[in-house]
Amino acid sequence: MIDYKEHQLSNGLRVLVNQDECSAMAAVSILYEVGSRDEQPAHTGFAHLFEHLMFRGTQAEPDFDGPIQEVCGENNAFTTADYTNYYITTPKDNFETALYMEADRMTGLNITPEVLALEKSVVIEEYNQRFLNRPYGEQWHLLRDMVYQSAPYRWPVIGLTPDHIRNASMEEVRSFYGQFYNPSNAILGISSALPSERVFEAVERYFGHLEAGPQLSARSYAVEGAIESPRRRVVEADVPADQITIAFLMEERGQRGYYVCDLLTDLLAGGESARIFQRLVKQQRLFSAANAYITGERGQGMLILTGQISPGVSIEQAEEALYGELERLVNETVGEYELQKVQNKFEANITFGELNVMNKAMNLCYYRMLGDMSLLNGETAIYRSISAQEIADYISSHLSRQQSATLIYRRKQ
Amino acid sequence: MKRPAIQPITAPAIPHYTWRTTSSGAPIYLLHNSTQGVVRVSFVFRAGTSYQSAPFSASTVVNTLSEGTANMSGAQVAEGLDFLGSYYDANIDRDWAVVTFCSLSKFVHPTLDIAEEVIARPTFPESEVASYCAKRKEQLHIQRSKPDQLSRELFGKALFGPNHPYGITSPEEAYDSLSREQLVEFYHTHYNAASAFAIICGDFADDVEARVEAILAALPAGEADQRAIPEPTATPLSTLQIKGAVQSSLKIGVPLFSRSHPDFVPMQIVATALGGYFGSRLMQNLREQHGYTYGAYAAMINLDESGYFVMSAEVAAEHTDAAIEEMLGEMERIGREEISEEELDIVRKTIVGDVMRIFDGPFGAADVTIENIQNNENNDYTEHFLERVATITPAELQQVAAKWLKKSSAVVTIVGPK
Repeated sequence: MIDYKEHQLSNGLRVLVNQDECSAMAAVSILYEVGSRDEQPAHTGFAHLFEHLMFRGTQAEPDFDGPIQEVCGENNAFTTADYTNYYITTPKDNFETALYMEADRMTGLNITPEVLALEKSVVIEEYNQRFLNRPYGEQWHLLRDMVYQSAPYRWPVIGLTPDHIRNASMEEVRSFYGQFYNPSNAILGISSALPSERVFEAVERYFGHLEAGPQLSARSYAVEGAIESPRRRVVEADVPADQITIAFLMEERGQRGYYVCDLLTDLLAGGESARIFQRLVKQQRLFSAANAYITGERGQGMLILTGQISPGVSIEQAEEALYGELERLVNETVGEYELQKVQNKFEANITFGELNVMNKAMNLCYYRMLGDMSLLNGETAIYRSISAQEIADYISSHLSRQQSATLIYRRKQ
Repeated sequence: MKRPAIQPITAPAIPHYTWRTTSSGAPIYLLHNSTQGVVRVSFVFRAGTSYQSAPFSASTVVNTLSEGTANMSGAQVAEGLDFLGSYYDANIDRDWAVVTFCSLSKFVHPTLDIAEEVIARPTFPESEVASYCAKRKEQLHIQRSKPDQLSRELFGKALFGPNHPYGITSPEEAYDSLSREQLVEFYHTHYNAASAFAIICGDFADDVEARVEAILAALPAGEADQRAIPEPTATPLSTLQIKGAVQSSLKIGVPLFSRSHPDFVPMQIVATALGGYFGSRLMQNLREQHGYTYGAYAAMINLDESGYFVMSAEVAAEHTDAAIEEMLGEMERIGREEISEEELDIVRKTIVGDVMRIFDGPFGAADVTIENIQNNENNDYTEHFLERVATITPAELQQVAAKWLKKSSAVVTIVGPK
């Protein structure tokens, strides 16, 4: 349960403050509503590259990290398909340094062609380390390309190819910054032991004078049409084990179907006692590792069933077993006890997820972005309201072979 | 707008525990923090991989404790913990095994009922052990196709020697010959009260302490294992080639000493300056100036009977030699030139900030306490550590770095393309 107060500055910045009496730290999180889905298909990876550039200094503060380190602070950021989140923790009495640094780089970024060139090579090494220099590294590129034909979730956040990163221009840097990095496209979340009035007052001081920025026309994203016949791709590669990944297109976050998918993947794989682990991994030993989860985007994300197949087990057998688990959820109604178990787990996870100031500050931003703050403390009730019949109905109508995209890695002999 | 003035930073208050020896002889440590309605109980055993004679027996024991007990099947253990929303975590390193249960405070008693079964009455059922070994063998095979895993293993062997208990790795096939008897034997000799301690951290009442004491009393009888760790034999340069790699995974280390050595803390500060934060020398050099890598790091690693300094980075294959050159160069430079007061100030603040962040949240105090107990210290150690960080001089750091970080004693491992 996170208590918060909310206020919007005249330039449009949305500010949410949680007062946490027991922490010596302050967490400042700033979320910009821009992610890889805002990119052009020929210029992917840009939102993430830009996140790196945000650490490259301004006229006033050429070194972003130094002033934060001077107050024992720590900072980082991540980019998703939907948004970009920067965060700083400092000892609480120095939280104004974090506010100042964030306000400063919201409008004062100073990028030279040399800096851009260097940051591109860092991002290309990140690309190599995470996506090329490891087995199955390209699986998300391949899978997204199969599931999405029109929606901008077709490319991963890192970008479609390193070439897109190499081609990024100074002109793009300028226009992206001007368009998306301003108070009206940002959400600020702060959690600390400081009284909220004190925090709001400081936010006004550091951010109040910034200009709102261009009015962004309501963005709309291409809606992905349903998958109507099975899509399938087999890759022969130098991988240590065969692997199968089955993806289904989901409803947007906030829709009822989103919660149903989240709950049903937890029945399958949410904890050691879950069905896939107990039956397919431990009892039948069909997989050395298997999982079921949702990718969790704001728009139409994916429900994933995946596993690394044990030696001697055929890919067909593995695939049948995964579908078998979906069928069992339909044919043998899930018992009250099991449903309650995964719902209990959601509730405990929420408590465990709110133990430090950083997570609280980030949650405030995320739920504000979703547009419905009642969800911040209200999702447990939604999960508790889902019935076994609803899960069965959902699977029957949405998770058939006809509606699937399947990526298979076959081990090169 | 001006940058705000720096407000005074008070060193974090180090939580102090109370402790006593329980009826079994195993100590119990208590850290009360009643703010969040959660509790963590950890059982710590001198049962790390360096104690094993049969390959994989130590990790298999800790990972299959929950796979079947005198009164519960493995599935029932998993089911019971999941229903309560409780977490179970089994962790092992070269020296220690740590088994942790976290729960909402209102569910601590049913969670500890299961904990007692797992900790004190495991049966290592034949079929569960076989299933575990088959699965882990496959997973290890998959892990060993990844450069970072290969690099860790190669580095351990290079630093200590291929048969040294701190460096040894075993072939996947060793899982095939691991028997249930070997596990039972290892459990009885290393999970006894003489090899154990427990810690309770968070929001809990007195009856929880009594419950944990009863669990410790139910452990098998026996003595602590008095192992002898041999002297390491290091190999200066090792390479492993993998087909199609686009990066080289580099590690450069120097065999040193454990945390009880007077130079350990100064060396931790040296390592932080070199690669312990984003503004560190290695990060600035390899990433920010040269763009060779996404990240470069350095650290001091502590083992019970040893310790070492290590730098690591995954770099573009074509820059392998240049990157090694830069890393060795930075390693030597820190012993040649005194660090400036400004840089040392940032390094100090990085360390203080890291400690403060560990204590943010109710369970960080348990991690710090466990580490101190493992090293035969109490939490005063952490206070003295922070004092030492605050008062050390540039001249002292240079002297220590020059003494220990010599190119001639560096151990270099490269996992990269053919």
